[in-house]
Amino acid sequence: MSVNAAVLAAIAPLMAFFVTLILTRKRPWLSAGISVGAVSISTVCAVFLLFRHWEMTEPVLYTSTWMVSGAISIPLGIMLDPLSLLMLVIVGGICLLVQIYSIGYMEGDPGFSRYFTFMSLFAWAMITMTISPTMLQLYVFWELVGLSSYLLIGFWYEKFSAGQAGKKAFVMTRLGDVAFLIGILLVLVHAGNLNIVEINSLGPSETMSPLIITLAVLLIFGGIIGKSAQFPLLTWLPDAMEGPTPVSALLHSATMVAAGVFLFARLFPFFSLTPTAMALCLAIGTVSMLLASTMAMVSRDIKQVWAYSTISQLGYMIMGLAAGGYVAGVFHLTTHAVFKALLFLCSGVFIHALHTNDMFDIAKSSGRRMKIPVICLIIAGAALAGLPPFSGFFSKELILAKLAALDNPIWLIFALAGVFLTAYYTFRLIFIILFPKPGPSDADSTSIAADEAERHDVKPHPIRQTMATPLIILAAITLVLGFFEDPVERFLSATVTESLSASGMHHGWPAFMALGLSVAGVLLALIEFGLPKSRQIGFAERMPFVYNLFSKRWYIDHVYRYFIDYVIDRGVAKICARNDKKVIDKSIDTFCDGIVESSRFLSFLHAGMIQYRLIVVFATLFFLSLYLLLG
Amino acid sequence: MIVPFSHVMILSGIVFLMGVFCAVARRNLIMILLGLEIMLNAASIAFVGGSLHFHLMEGQVFALFIIAAAAAEVSVGLALFVCVYRRTGSLDPGIGE
Repeated sequence: MSVNAAVLAAIAPLMAFFVTLILTRKRPWLSAGISVGAVSISTVCAVFLLFRHWEMTEPVLYTSTWMVSGAISIPLGIMLDPLSLLMLVIVGGICLLVQIYSIGYMEGDPGFSRYFTFMSLFAWAMITMTISPTMLQLYVFWELVGLSSYLLIGFWYEKFSAGQAGKKAFVMTRLGDVAFLIGILLVLVHAGNLNIVEINSLGPSETMSPLIITLAVLLIFGGIIGKSAQFPLLTWLPDAMEGPTPVSALLHSATMVAAGVFLFARLFPFFSLTPTAMALCLAIGTVSMLLASTMAMVSRDIKQVWAYSTISQLGYMIMGLAAGGYVAGVFHLTTHAVFKALLFLCSGVFIHALHTNDMFDIAKSSGRRMKIPVICLIIAGAALAGLPPFSGFFSKELILAKLAALDNPIWLIFALAGVFLTAYYTFRLIFIILFPKPGPSDADSTSIAADEAERHDVKPHPIRQTMATPLIILAAITLVLGFFEDPVERFLSATVTESLSASGMHHGWPAFMALGLSVAGVLLALIEFGLPKSRQIGFAERMPFVYNLFSKRWYIDHVYRYFIDYVIDRGVAKICARNDKKVIDKSIDTFCDGIVESSRFLSFLHAGMIQYRLIVVFATLFFLSLYLLLG
Repeated sequence: MIVPFSHVMILSGIVFLMGVFCAVARRNLIMILLGLEIMLNAASIAFVGGSLHFHLMEGQVFALFIIAAAAAEVSVGLALFVCVYRRTGSLDPGIGE
């Protein structure tokens, strides 16, 4: 029964993908209906499975052999444990809401049908990835997730930058995936098995020395870095904004980037075997979290702010997991998926109605008149900033408690700094939209913006029902999800051993400190952007050096560009070209020339001189007899 | 057998090589024919020596046949050479080049 439901949840979007791909390209509404219907089936199955297995202690496993190679057998199947069930519900629910929202958002787009085809593919890949019982199956669908996000980021492929952004996302995540694949192979070679349950129950043995385990964990973490846009592969995510906004909502909440953190949680017992690798993961999470927060402080693009905040929240999750907080990381993944989807969908409403991504333009076009998105934006922003009673507060507090339990207080300090910055940039955006005023930097464009504002005042764009409903549902979930902390914790820790899931102290001083800091961040944002007299220039923007550093993304892209230009293009590529020309081409040329020359030399046999033929006959006879004698 | 069999075979080999050299290196059709004869003689020596060594009479029979074949070959060959010389005025094998 459970297996059937899980198979149905995985197969329905695949069916929708094929049907919409082949049969209904010319009928966009039918495509949308099929796609949404399929995801609804998946969601219903997921919720059913969650309730059915709420009290589970043992994971449900169903596998059949896919292929056998020597001693290694690779099964294909389904594994249902608390983590995959929770993830299944998140993925299904968010996909469903985003697809419903997309019906309104994408209406009239020439690629409407194609859009839903890709969405179905995305849903299928992600759902099947969450229930994979083996690393190989997980890897296959991991790559499919990457492919479908490439297709969706570059959805408006007529736009050059969209195509570029899609390629960038694909190539950068591939970079991590190569490491991931090598890590999988390392595990396969040394453990002889790719079963996730068995990998998680591995211990240091003669086949897996601690060094090998550390290496494998670090390589697999490379895949997580790529997928979850952690330092140093974080620059693809802000560029992924080129896709339609609902795609960003999906990408940033439940699917693409969540896959990385999901993998971390999936292999959490295996990762915990090596404190060295965990320390490195912690450091990378921290660095990404801080870098992305600072980038978000100076961005004017509303979607980019949320993209940076995604990176920083993913950094939080990685920090939480790396600090040993399995439940903390997964719970933050859950709450983040909901409120980040909500943030993007709200921004999508503004962008759809006002045709601009710039938050100052949105403010001037009186975006605040749109009641539902503004209220939802504030709710989601408060959750992101970690204000009670919204869901983000509870999950962040869990992570902070885990970090406070560490020996080294530096991680907690960084995390608290991140809390402050998060609150600041979130409410910077909200206050800018709520309290529009002509800023000094936009003096030249004021008149145009005013015209636009007037036009919108005359004819306010009505928000569609299909777009408003998902917002309200998500906002409601954001409001209540935090209070489900204890049940979720109990559910998740059912199959993980007690020592890993003990969640440290509750409601300790880090929580109050975090609350104080986020309130301070909100207040600073209020002073700089919210008050009538404030000039809407942040403290980071007043320092040109810092501003440049932040807005150029710490020059990470420049470093990459420089590296590619000077090391790859002019170094490695040049050597390769030389090798190609001087070694490969030359050897083949020499060989061919040799053949031509020797043929020319031998061609005199053809001229009718009988003695030369005699020589050849004798030589042949000689060598033949030699062969007979020796052979 | 006073002379060892291996010496007979070595002699036969040397004579054969001399015949080969003669047939390959000389630029005269008669000398080429001579080379062929020498090679046939080398074969005869080998046959006779072998016949003595293995106590079989077939070797000597072969030697007689070889002499007969060589005589026929020389008569036909020399007739051809006379014909060639009358037509071209030369006995150089490279004349066609």
